[in-house]
Amino acid sequence: MNYALLRLFHATDPGDKFWSREIAEKSPEQVLDDIESGRYSSSKRSIERVQKRLRERSLDSLLQEISLSGGEFIGRGTSKWPHSLDELVSPPLGIIVKGAIPKCNSIALVGTRNPTTYGARIASEFASGFADREIEVISGGAYGIDTHAHRGAIAAEGRTIAVLASGISTKYPAGNERLFEEISANGSLISEVMPNEKARPERFLTRNRLIAALSRATIVVEAAFRSGSLRTAHDASELMRIVLAVPGPITSPTSDGCHRLIGERCAEIVTSVSDAMEFLPQSTCTLCVDGS
Amino acid sequence: MTLARTTSINLLGLKGEPIEIEVDVSNGLPAYSLLGLPDATLSESRDRIRAAILNSGRSWPNRKVTVSLSPAWLPKSGSGFDLPIALAILAASEQLDGSKIENFFFLGELSLEGNLRPVRGVLPMLIAARELGVKRVVVPRENFQEAGLLKDLEVNSFSKLSEVIHYLEDGVRFENPTLMETPIQSSTVDMADVSGHREVKSALEVGAIGGHNLLMIGAPGSGKTMLAERFATVLPQLDETEAIEVSGIHSIAGTLKDRSLLSVEPPFISPHHSITIPALVGGGSSNIKPGACSLAHRGVLFLDEAPECDSGILDALRQPLESGSITITRSALTASFPARFILLLAANPCPCGRFAGRGRGCQCTSLQVRRYLSKLSGPLLDRIDIRLSVETPSRAELSEPVKETSADIRARVITARAISAERFADYSFKLNSQIPPNLLRERFRPTREGMTVLHSLLDKEELSARGFHRTIRLSWSIADMQGVTVPGINEIERALTLRSGLPGE
Repeated sequence: MNYALLRLFHATDPGDKFWSREIAEKSPEQVLDDIESGRYSSSKRSIERVQKRLRERSLDSLLQEISLSGGEFIGRGTSKWPHSLDELVSPPLGIIVKGAIPKCNSIALVGTRNPTTYGARIASEFASGFADREIEVISGGAYGIDTHAHRGAIAAEGRTIAVLASGISTKYPAGNERLFEEISANGSLISEVMPNEKARPERFLTRNRLIAALSRATIVVEAAFRSGSLRTAHDASELMRIVLAVPGPITSPTSDGCHRLIGERCAEIVTSVSDAMEFLPQSTCTLCVDGS
Repeated sequence: MTLARTTSINLLGLKGEPIEIEVDVSNGLPAYSLLGLPDATLSESRDRIRAAILNSGRSWPNRKVTVSLSPAWLPKSGSGFDLPIALAILAASEQLDGSKIENFFFLGELSLEGNLRPVRGVLPMLIAARELGVKRVVVPRENFQEAGLLKDLEVNSFSKLSEVIHYLEDGVRFENPTLMETPIQSSTVDMADVSGHREVKSALEVGAIGGHNLLMIGAPGSGKTMLAERFATVLPQLDETEAIEVSGIHSIAGTLKDRSLLSVEPPFISPHHSITIPALVGGGSSNIKPGACSLAHRGVLFLDEAPECDSGILDALRQPLESGSITITRSALTASFPARFILLLAANPCPCGRFAGRGRGCQCTSLQVRRYLSKLSGPLLDRIDIRLSVETPSRAELSEPVKETSADIRARVITARAISAERFADYSFKLNSQIPPNLLRERFRPTREGMTVLHSLLDKEELSARGFHRTIRLSWSIADMQGVTVPGINEIERALTLRSGLPGE
């Protein structure tokens, strides 16, 4: 394990473009050395925060926190690293994974926290359908569409991945604690922060880009006109990933966001699992080490 | 004679407990003691009784007066004991023949002037008295209409204490007022007032047929309240026993004014969402009164803006919804009131109310919307069979004349209920919503195709075991409405749709 990378992973904010680029250009050891010897100008606002965090936690306490959580730190560029993350503008320095390492053939199912019965059913049926075709399902950890997608995949005995905005030990929201346990047994929990970090509002948006990057396609099941799921969809389309949206009644506020995506030509309309399969690229990821 | 006795009744819930009143007037310093755990109203009776006796041209015994209400351990309350105590004092002080008051049942509050004032709960008290074998009763004139409902009692009504004394001494009868005929009530509201909402009206009809609880979710102004207010008008009218039972409860609560006597219309009770638990389920320390739940007995309890209710309010409804009655226990006593009502809830889709249609005006976050409606979720929602989304009617619907009146719908409800009553002739329950689970699996199974649909949903974990049973009950009501003998795949699917008009989870 690259210990310098782990220390920087803890000290920097997820999605910070500057540090992501610095570490890509120099080696993590070099960046760490430059920070500690004060070679970065104080005009970079985050430098003080990063220095403070580096001082606060020792490497040992970081390693202990990770081992207690039952997760594993996967640094950028290491052998297990999912290369699809490198396509992001500011790839994470690393991720914490509890469970199996995700493959690159997964599909993201995202949507609102308060779905209608229709949306809840579609999310779980689609997830079951993908699980039957041995495709992994990726979603967040929130109530609503996320929860139903995971449940659908688990019910069909498929693999499912939850990308959390909090640390993997924090279990946010608390009502989904049991679901997270089932997910880590049937797939994996992933996050871009240390296991005990709390969920902060801005982290949901940076988390969304991971969902977009880790999946081959993103399906928006139900989303209101203003919804974080639309952000995931836009992130995915920027990465040239396929974006699909499930239509609903035009009188349903939770389908308005999906219609907006379709109307703006951001998303293709999808009405069944086999429909979705036709949109998926045939070639699988060549970057992956195991070739899957 | 220095000892006199008569009887009265103390109400506990709808049950009456006979109270023996004994008065002893003996030599000693002038004093008055009242025994038998009286409450404040009853303790104050001494001054009312004394003034009333003096102002009726009789004299107060200036000796030691002891009044005992037995059983002594039972807390007693109310001003209805004024009249029997006054008469017993007169008898004990030899101003009245004691044997004259023993076979009567007296009820009434006294004014200082000696007038008889009406009391609450006359109907249930007299029903209890009748069960104890009482034949002749004396009530205040204002309570005559209520007491007169019990045709097999000899009811005498008076407006003054002196008239009662006169009657007891000389048998001079005062003319009772004429008993009002049961008014033919025409409700002021009618389903025909509401245009559009064909789906919702049909769902309300299903609810009325099977006694299913309902939830309506819709934007403000979409017509939820209007529909709810008219729901009671499609329920079958009450029969005489039911009407007396309902009037009895209202009599205890003192709300008979709002409801004409022996009204056969099912009650519609709609408390404000700021209601407290005691007001909802009933309460009080010694004088236990029925709450909104019991007032809605055999009718409709409507809670508008249900998610605005304080936490605990909605959950307090769970017990009555399950058992059809409420038992209130206080340190000294326990009272039971019947509370078999149809619960009708209405809610906005979100705190600001605009999360409907395309929902673009809504400023609430998805989490706020979720929290708002989740106040309803859990065990209470489990007991609600029909969940409707109420949408604002279109212009075409608004301009369309509505031909169907409440009376038309009510007639269909009555027909459908007759079918289910016939089906349940061998059982103690009457409505589809009350079929016990074991009978649903054996005697009252839907067709094979219908069951297949449900079983596949059970397998996919999209239906809970409770949801499974509730869907079958609902499908029976739909079958009764459509004249189908056994619910099949169509009825099951309709039932599933009626259950699902609500956000997931």
